[in-house]
Amino acid sequence: MSLAYETIATLRHRLLSKEIHPRDILKDLFTQIDAREKTLHAYTYLNRESALAAAEKTDLSLPLGGIPIALKDNLNALGDPCTCASKILEGYKAPYDATAVSLLRQAGSILLGRTNMDEFAMGSSTENSALGLTRNPWDPTRIPGGSSGGSAAAVAGRIALAALGSDTGGSIRQPAALCGCVGLKPTYGRISRYGLVAFASSLDQIGPLTRTVEDSALLLSVLAGHDPRDNTTDLRPPEKFLTQKNGSVQGLRFGLPKEYFLPGMDSETESAIRSAADWFKKNGATLVDVSLPHTPTAIAVYYILATAEASANLARFDGVRYGRRATDARDVLDLYHRTRSEGFGAEVKRRIILGTFVLSQGYADAYYRQAQKVRALLRQDFEKAFTQCDLLLTPTSPEPAFPLGERTQDPLKMYLADVFTISTNLAGNGAISLPCGFTKSNLPIGLQLIGPRFGEETILRAAHAFEQAHDFFQRLPPS
Amino acid sequence: MSTPAKWEAVIGLEVHVQLLTQTKMFCGCTNHYGDAPTSHVCPVCLGLPGSLPVPNEEAIRLTLLTGLMLGCTLAPVARFDRKNYFYPDMPKNYQISQYDDPLCAGGQVPLDPFLFPKEIQDTAEAKAGRAIRLTRIHLEEDVAKSFHFEDRSGIDFNRAGTPLMEIVSEADLRTPGEAFSFLGSLRQVLLAGHVSHADMEKGQMRCDVNVSVRPIGQKEFGTKVELKNLNSTSGVRRALTYEIARQITACEKGEAIAHETRRWDDEAGATFTMRTKEKAHDYRYFPDPDLLPVRTDQGLLEAARTRLPELPSVLQARLIQAFGVTAYQASVLGADRILCAYFEKAAAQAKSKATVANWILNDFLSTQPDPATTPILPEFFGELADLVADGTINSAQAKKVFAELMANPASPREIVKRLGLAQISDVSALGTYCDEAIAANPRSVEDYRAGKTNAINALKGFVMKKSQGKANPLQVDEILKAKLSA
Amino acid sequence: MSAPQINISDVASLARLTLTPDETAKFSAQLSQILGHMETLSQIATGAVPEVTPPAQPALRQDIPTPSLSIEAALSNAPAQANDLILVPRILE
Ligand SMILES: [Mg+2]
Ligand SMILES: [Zn+2]
Repeated sequence: MSLAYETIATLRHRLLSKEIHPRDILKDLFTQIDAREKTLHAYTYLNRESALAAAEKTDLSLPLGGIPIALKDNLNALGDPCTCASKILEGYKAPYDATAVSLLRQAGSILLGRTNMDEFAMGSSTENSALGLTRNPWDPTRIPGGSSGGSAAAVAGRIALAALGSDTGGSIRQPAALCGCVGLKPTYGRISRYGLVAFASSLDQIGPLTRTVEDSALLLSVLAGHDPRDNTTDLRPPEKFLTQKNGSVQGLRFGLPKEYFLPGMDSETESAIRSAADWFKKNGATLVDVSLPHTPTAIAVYYILATAEASANLARFDGVRYGRRATDARDVLDLYHRTRSEGFGAEVKRRIILGTFVLSQGYADAYYRQAQKVRALLRQDFEKAFTQCDLLLTPTSPEPAFPLGERTQDPLKMYLADVFTISTNLAGNGAISLPCGFTKSNLPIGLQLIGPRFGEETILRAAHAFEQAHDFFQRLPPS
Repeated sequence: MSTPAKWEAVIGLEVHVQLLTQTKMFCGCTNHYGDAPTSHVCPVCLGLPGSLPVPNEEAIRLTLLTGLMLGCTLAPVARFDRKNYFYPDMPKNYQISQYDDPLCAGGQVPLDPFLFPKEIQDTAEAKAGRAIRLTRIHLEEDVAKSFHFEDRSGIDFNRAGTPLMEIVSEADLRTPGEAFSFLGSLRQVLLAGHVSHADMEKGQMRCDVNVSVRPIGQKEFGTKVELKNLNSTSGVRRALTYEIARQITACEKGEAIAHETRRWDDEAGATFTMRTKEKAHDYRYFPDPDLLPVRTDQGLLEAARTRLPELPSVLQARLIQAFGVTAYQASVLGADRILCAYFEKAAAQAKSKATVANWILNDFLSTQPDPATTPILPEFFGELADLVADGTINSAQAKKVFAELMANPASPREIVKRLGLAQISDVSALGTYCDEAIAANPRSVEDYRAGKTNAINALKGFVMKKSQGKANPLQVDEILKAKLSA
Repeated sequence: MSAPQINISDVASLARLTLTPDETAKFSAQLSQILGHMETLSQIATGAVPEVTPPAQPALRQDIPTPSLSIEAALSNAPAQANDLILVPRILE
């Protein structure tokens, strides 16, 4: 069988036993990429040569020695492009490494290539990419989810073993759910954001997309920890996750927030999630009804705060120091207007305008400040819920992957796709999405487990137990 | 141009101060000026996508120290905010600054009367002893430096992201002289704390001025005008003098003052409209989500407190009290901590400390010495003063010793020996000189005895000449008087 | 609070964007729909809720220099440069 179908954990064993060489993994991946990438378009850029060169001098004693990993195209890696799937970063080559990237290098992994995304991570379908859309490996007429759609499609489509993504409102978990892989959004402050091109700084978190929970834990162990370059990283010492894999969920209390199970929700999704809950119960866990009463406000709070932060974060793209510069500008003001109007896509412009508006004089109190306060209430909801349970159990997405083009003209409907993931970013908690079933038309369904802040160990333990008791992670998309 | 009595000016200052740190505000790049362009930049201060700021704790300590020195209320928790506006010298198109929760609030700058312009130091305005209230002090990052060419501009990002402390005064100032003294007095405090070199001419201290005029007695402020391009303390004074007169003239003609920013042209000696403020800037301030709130009450404040220096006003009072110097001398000494330390060493053991002050502040200073590196030991001045006080040399001889001291530094005692300058205080030797003088000047003796007491001077002159200037003039006076009345 | 009428072009110009007439029309409609959805927030009582996130003691940076980029690396992405300065069209006051 092609090595492209294996997990990181298995490949590491085979590498260490000298049964295979890192170049064998790359060769199989490239064969697979040559066959599938035309359909999927998961990548914006591939490091074929440098990856093969790196494979010849890997240090297998390192935790990810010889393991190729793909990066979402919003992470800076020295010498590589970092397009954020935007025309405005045309020609930009990163003069530095993101901390997460340098940790991957230090752990011995090989940088395979860059994955497609919604422009500046703004979107839930990867249709907002200036570099073309990505397709869902399970049904190429459907979206892979977003914004880390390229990462999810590559991992699920077996053209990457694992990829990094970024999650601001569900951008790791929702595509992981829709593509049938494991997506982890760590607690805010767990992984350094240094070198991740910011969308919304108070919400962004880097995380892994993998085939299995064990691989997810492996990557988290490499990436987690305080970074002196990121003021918002937590000071706790580095941890190794999921070192005990006993498979027990005995005694764990799972909270089912009533706001996440609404009448009229997608029935296949609901029944998959309910049977997952039943499995936990059958295996010694208890189920508790909990409430997160401010859930209905989350989308509004999110789109105010995220766009406000984005309006400032994206101000630096002005054609002065890097990236695309409009030609024939009369003066600097004209240069700004032309560069930004030509360089940004519609969704980015829409969000910049929204974010600028909610911060502007006369409106900041009603929108930005009010949203900050409601965010505090949302956070309190989670704190309260976690006095009653150890993990929250919810669907990741209200429905499976929708058809390409269906929502591009209706941004509000697109925004509502994030309804189950957004609150976690607002509260800062960690959460995972893992496959928990398939629809009749063979589309993956994702289960979301949300933990208390810095509760990744519990999340991973429960997710791993569920995963190993089912075969969802072994199913292959049609080729 | 003086302000007619019926109008008064209302002036507020915003002073930006470059801090004496090793590194920039939010990155580890060197905080240094005058190096090759673009040689001190990194992803953070260049605003590259993905970079993140981390605050420099020393910059925070220096700001807290400034707050302590100026009597501000210090925030236990401070925040950084983003101030949004586009400009090519600003890498991120927002400046990290402080808006809602600055590090320091309130406080005041006492105006030193001797830091008013020289020619008005004797006026009531200077002697009023006012203290100017501060609104706040906050910390922010500086922008890059632009150079304008014919059809393009070039930007050097070395200064981008260096720490800048902004000190905002209340609109308490009333005259150009007060603004002048405010800047000087503030500078003294900043120097005392080693916070900044605060030299306006080097751009280490930059000042924006808001000024309006109103009839005396009126409570409401007039329309304020912002003045830019003020590159020296005297420039601030001249610009204000001009601008206040311009506004008063306009008001007297019944013209409205435009709400605008005006540029001071030092050569033309006038202000000119730069931009009118039709629309207020909308900076869209919000807390910078990349930076957690800063707790100052867990070590930072204490660290700043341990660095509290002797404040200028305290130092001046001590100099007057302990060394008997004048208020003016205390102000001059207080303005230069190195000179002051030099003086204190010089005067420590001296019998007449006031004499030492005179030597140092008049004769020594006029040679434009660098008290930090001069080979002349401060103790020499104490010794010189003592030689005069104990009668070893007279003041004319002391001048000679001083000149020699400057030319070939050595102990004044040695110089006196070397030059054979010691004063003759031996009574019998002086008596002989006096007898000779009386014998040689019968006319003067007669005049003196006839009541023309001034005639004694001719006799004294004779003695001094005979003794080659070494005779102790006080003793000569005594001996002559005794002999003449005998 | 009812959904305000935004002057899209004014807001866009604050953000240094020039919109085509098409974009202006489309964005106006979409944004008023989105802002309409955000009206729900005005119903939430937040009088006593602090807006600020709880202060953590962040790790500050010690004042010790770290290496900067080389001049070449710093200018490697500059669209226009001369004499180690980044060039822009003339800045108008
Ligand atoms: Mg300022
Ligand atoms: Zn720097």
